[in-house]
Amino acid sequence: MTAATSNRNIPELGAIRFENVTKTFGSVTALDDVSVSFAANKINVLLGLSGSGKSTMLRHINGLHKPSKGGVWTLGTPVHSAGAATLRGLRNDVGMIFQQFHLVESMSVLENVCTGKLGSLRGPRFGLWSYPRAVREAAMEQLARVGLADKAFQRAGTLSGGQQQRVAIARALIQRPTVLLADEPVASLDPLSSAGVIELLTRISREENLTVICSLHQVPIALEFADRIVGLNAGRVVLDRPAAGMTHDDVDGIYAPIPVDERTELAG
Amino acid sequence: MTVDTDASHSAHTGIPHTDASHTGTSHAKVPLPPRPRPSANRIAAGSTLVIILIAAIWSVVALEINVASMVRSLDNAGNFVSRIFPLDFPPLGELLVMTGQTLAIVVVATVLAVVLSLPVALFAAANTTSGPVMRGVSRTIIVMCRAVPDLIFAIVLFRLFGLGALPGILALGLHSIGMVGKLYADAIEELDGGPAEAVRSAGGSRLQWITSTVIPQVMPQLIATALHRFDINLRTSVLLGYVGVGGIGLELANALRTMQYQRGMALALVILALCIALEMLSGAIRASLLGRVPANRRGVLGFIDRVAAGWITAPRGGRELQRGKDGRVRIAPQWDRERIGRFAGVALTIAIVALATVYADLDFSTLAEDLLALPQVLGTFLPPSPQDLIDTLLEAMLVTVQIGLAATLLGLVLALPIGVFAARNVASSGFVANLFRTIIVIIRGLPELILAIVFIVITGLGPIAGTLALAIGSVGLLGKLVADSLEETDVRVQDAVRATGATPIQVFFAATLRQAAPQFIAHVLYQLDVNIRSATLLGIVGAGGIGFYLLNASRVQEFDVVTFIIVMVLVTVLAVEAVAVWTRKALR
Repeated sequence: MTAATSNRNIPELGAIRFENVTKTFGSVTALDDVSVSFAANKINVLLGLSGSGKSTMLRHINGLHKPSKGGVWTLGTPVHSAGAATLRGLRNDVGMIFQQFHLVESMSVLENVCTGKLGSLRGPRFGLWSYPRAVREAAMEQLARVGLADKAFQRAGTLSGGQQQRVAIARALIQRPTVLLADEPVASLDPLSSAGVIELLTRISREENLTVICSLHQVPIALEFADRIVGLNAGRVVLDRPAAGMTHDDVDGIYAPIPVDERTELAG
Repeated sequence: MTVDTDASHSAHTGIPHTDASHTGTSHAKVPLPPRPRPSANRIAAGSTLVIILIAAIWSVVALEINVASMVRSLDNAGNFVSRIFPLDFPPLGELLVMTGQTLAIVVVATVLAVVLSLPVALFAAANTTSGPVMRGVSRTIIVMCRAVPDLIFAIVLFRLFGLGALPGILALGLHSIGMVGKLYADAIEELDGGPAEAVRSAGGSRLQWITSTVIPQVMPQLIATALHRFDINLRTSVLLGYVGVGGIGLELANALRTMQYQRGMALALVILALCIALEMLSGAIRASLLGRVPANRRGVLGFIDRVAAGWITAPRGGRELQRGKDGRVRIAPQWDRERIGRFAGVALTIAIVALATVYADLDFSTLAEDLLALPQVLGTFLPPSPQDLIDTLLEAMLVTVQIGLAATLLGLVLALPIGVFAARNVASSGFVANLFRTIIVIIRGLPELILAIVFIVITGLGPIAGTLALAIGSVGLLGKLVADSLEETDVRVQDAVRATGATPIQVFFAATLRQAAPQFIAHVLYQLDVNIRSATLLGIVGAGGIGFYLLNASRVQEFDVVTFIIVMVLVTVLAVEAVAVWTRKALR
């Protein structure tokens, strides 16, 4: 925790660094000798086909996965060797949002947002009343920020997909993170809700100077949203450059077909 | 059974039998691809089913359950009816006291079961366990608690703690872990792991993500399962009256032991009414909790719905961010009808549990002393020995298994038509389906003990009474399971078959029954498992089998015989369960 905090404002270290990371699940190689680093306060978009390793990469940043080989440093913390307590401290500084929102549908919107603060609270919590008043107020402020204060006491499962994703963003923001991971945040949404969620993510990331790593499927959104684009194909980085001035054609190479022998390997 | 074996072949090849009809047309004959051979496992499972069926038929014959013995019993039935009238109800005050005592024991036992089952289930579920060792230990606890009948827990615990409510509560509570823990673990394993992962990625510890995401998600199932177990415990507590568990069951046992049939049958009637009433009430609450009721019900049911609404329905939204005078944000929901209802429900539950705990009059004063005596008491149970009864005991165990087999077969014959008519997608009208559903609920409410007592008086002591009681009891569970599995079939398949011009009967056999067949087999095997356990227990009232010897041995304090019987029962029950689980898996 102290390491993470003391390093969070030293951009030259790179906010996040992958060094020769290989990750295998059984016989499947999800990441293949990946070395890449992400500077602080920038919006980075990962592009690539399903199964190219985008999610696996994101999940290494907060230690949901540990590398089979190589090392990952996030905010100065060596994630590959970190123990449970260190990881908890690091995760407190790293917010994450997911394709399927991952809200408890039977809980109120407000309580869902409060769960984002669990990393800095001690002990188990059950029910809205069990969170300190300051946390509930902070949750309300974040809900107002994503435009859903009026839904605070509604059950999360009754909201639309776009609204649920905004609740999930509020849940990540209540952590006051320095890094925000977004795993295909708009893949389950219709185009209109997608635009709203991306617009919100962009605005908040700029306001808070967040380091964003976001995986996406929609190239046009990526080109508009990103400072930098990293392309993955079969677990390898095949493209890595600033988004400014990039065109559709520049990105197309990422989606080149994988050689047949490797594809079967991936499918297995 | 033959129909089913046939059907499972077609499922295996994926080729419907109707393909053969093509050969009669003008098209070129399509050669049938070779049929893949069914796996050795499936053949073995199929043979097991056939063997079980033959064993069940043999049991019906061996136990002499036939028309002749029924006719012979007719006289007895007449005598019985003349002996129980007029019914002799105890004074209302006395009746309320004993009913209260029963309910208090059952409430506390069920709460105990929930409190013990939840941690066991969290360790037993793959997604919340701390590791394979704890998972194995928890699974073993669940299996053992289920395999040891509550009656056996009661005998041992009475020996340990002496008379009083405590041994009864512990016996019911411990045995309940077998079912409640299993159902809780299943519910937890079926959860969507997303919210837990979200909290984990925000730095939440295991205990935090369990209490903040897992428990809220399974809460409706936790409560529904507890209510279901409450009904079962109520029925069992009556049976445990025979070994000294207080309340209405004890009074019933005393009345029957002293041949006071008028009093006994009056008490049986009260128990019957109590069981059916509570079964219906808990059924309504469960349906409401799991979100299976129409909106806007009024009265008591409406209240139940509003209480359950906390977990199911959507409250009205649309409130702006509110600030107090000091500029602080309002962070508590308003006290609307729904919130008041939910809090009233929680308060009522707490009050009932508190009242029951006080009323059960638990005496912990000698607890420490009793526990210190545990090794010595257990010593009297060891080593297990049949004394000189080995042949008798083995034969009685066989009779118990025969009762279970015969009861399941007879129950199936009765449950099939009732279940079919209770399925809403098969019955000719909603009225018919509701009528048969109600019949099933009433049968489910009948305590098997009461049925056994009635049949004992009619057919005399022995296995026929036990078999008939269990057969009728099976109709309640099996009928419900049959109806449920028919209703869960894919209606689009039925539509497709109907669209070809098939008659309703053809639709039923080709689409509905065909789809539900695997579940049917699973349910019947489960019922067999349940019936063999119950057959053990019913023996204590004289309905045949091993239970009678178990009660006797404990009365005359031959605890080594008790242990021998316990081991026999355990081995049998675990073996039957293993066969059932394996067969279900092989035929899936």
